[in-house]
Amino acid sequence: MPIQGPPQVPLTPAVFAILLSLAEGEKHGYLIMKDARAPEGGGVRLGPGTLYGSLDRMMHGRLVVESGMSDDKRRRYYKLTALGRRTLAAEVNRLDAAVQTARSLGVLPHRSRS
Amino acid sequence: MTPDRLERIYAFALRLYPEPFRVNYAPAMLQTLRDARADGSLARGALTRLIVADLVTSLAKEHLSMLRDTFGRPALLFNAFVLAGISTILALALYAIPQQVLRQGANDPQIEMVTNLAVHLNKYGVSDGLRQGALTTYGSATVDMANSLSPFLIVYDDEGRALGSTAQLDGQTPTPPAGVFDYVRSHGQERVSWQPRNNVRIAAVVERISGAQPGFVLAGRSLREVEAREGQVLKMAGVAWFGMLGLILLGTIAFGWFTRPKTA
Repeated sequence: MPIQGPPQVPLTPAVFAILLSLAEGEKHGYLIMKDARAPEGGGVRLGPGTLYGSLDRMMHGRLVVESGMSDDKRRRYYKLTALGRRTLAAEVNRLDAAVQTARSLGVLPHRSRS
Repeated sequence: MTPDRLERIYAFALRLYPEPFRVNYAPAMLQTLRDARADGSLARGALTRLIVADLVTSLAKEHLSMLRDTFGRPALLFNAFVLAGISTILALALYAIPQQVLRQGANDPQIEMVTNLAVHLNKYGVSDGLRQGALTTYGSATVDMANSLSPFLIVYDDEGRALGSTAQLDGQTPTPPAGVFDYVRSHGQERVSWQPRNNVRIAAVVERISGAQPGFVLAGRSLREVEAREGQVLKMAGVAWFGMLGLILLGTIAFGWFTRPKTA
């Protein structure tokens, strides 16, 4: 993952789901897992190992930072960086373009956009 | 599986993660499991399956990542490649230097024989010199080129036709390629590895005879024993090379391990 420069996409499903979850605000591990599992959050079944492994690599890539810890130091909170937000936006745009193509090809039904 | 047991097993399994990762994240991972259990949105069986599958995949992933961080560092790999390059050059030298010494040494008796015979034939002429028995004076009795290790002598006229020989190969006196005589005409002497037929290789020294009846003197000797020794040298150099590469590999692994990053 880049330290600086333009966002690197495509993302893995796990990284995308974590970024999407954190777009709402800072969260600890289980809340991210729960968001990711929901269909609207990416529908990714993350376990603790995959979650913290991904978060560790995303911190090295400057996509997220650790923002705090619970008093008992067992819950760790994370939030998006500016690069993380730009990367998420780039990935959403990429997916959006793919969805539009799928619609134009008749793979998905057309929807009116408001 | 009861929740407590799942938690105990998971806490134990967390010890399998690489140390830096475990130190950083094990308490948070255990807490995540407790939060999931407390939340209850995932059925117990589904949670257990998720945890087991996650353990398998993330353990493999984190250990691979640890190996990459430990041994995939550019400086470590660069040093290993430089050392491997140096050891390769050393091993090549270990082979090439003795091989050249052996090969050049294989010419020694022939140089003496060819020089002596050429001086004699230059002095008395080729026909008179051969009539006087110069070949047997400077060479041995008839040599079977295919089997004998003894040196031999052959005298050729200026066209490359054999005039006299102490060697036979399959009942005939062989002749080296014409290019050898052309070279000797202009340079005076040539030292070559000559293969008159398959599996017969000869260390040959050819010298020019000048004067009224010009020609060539060839002294040769089988390379069989020399090439066998060259083969032994090659084996020893190969063993030394693999040994050095093995030491470099072990050293790189040990150095990489002792200088590995301490935090994830």
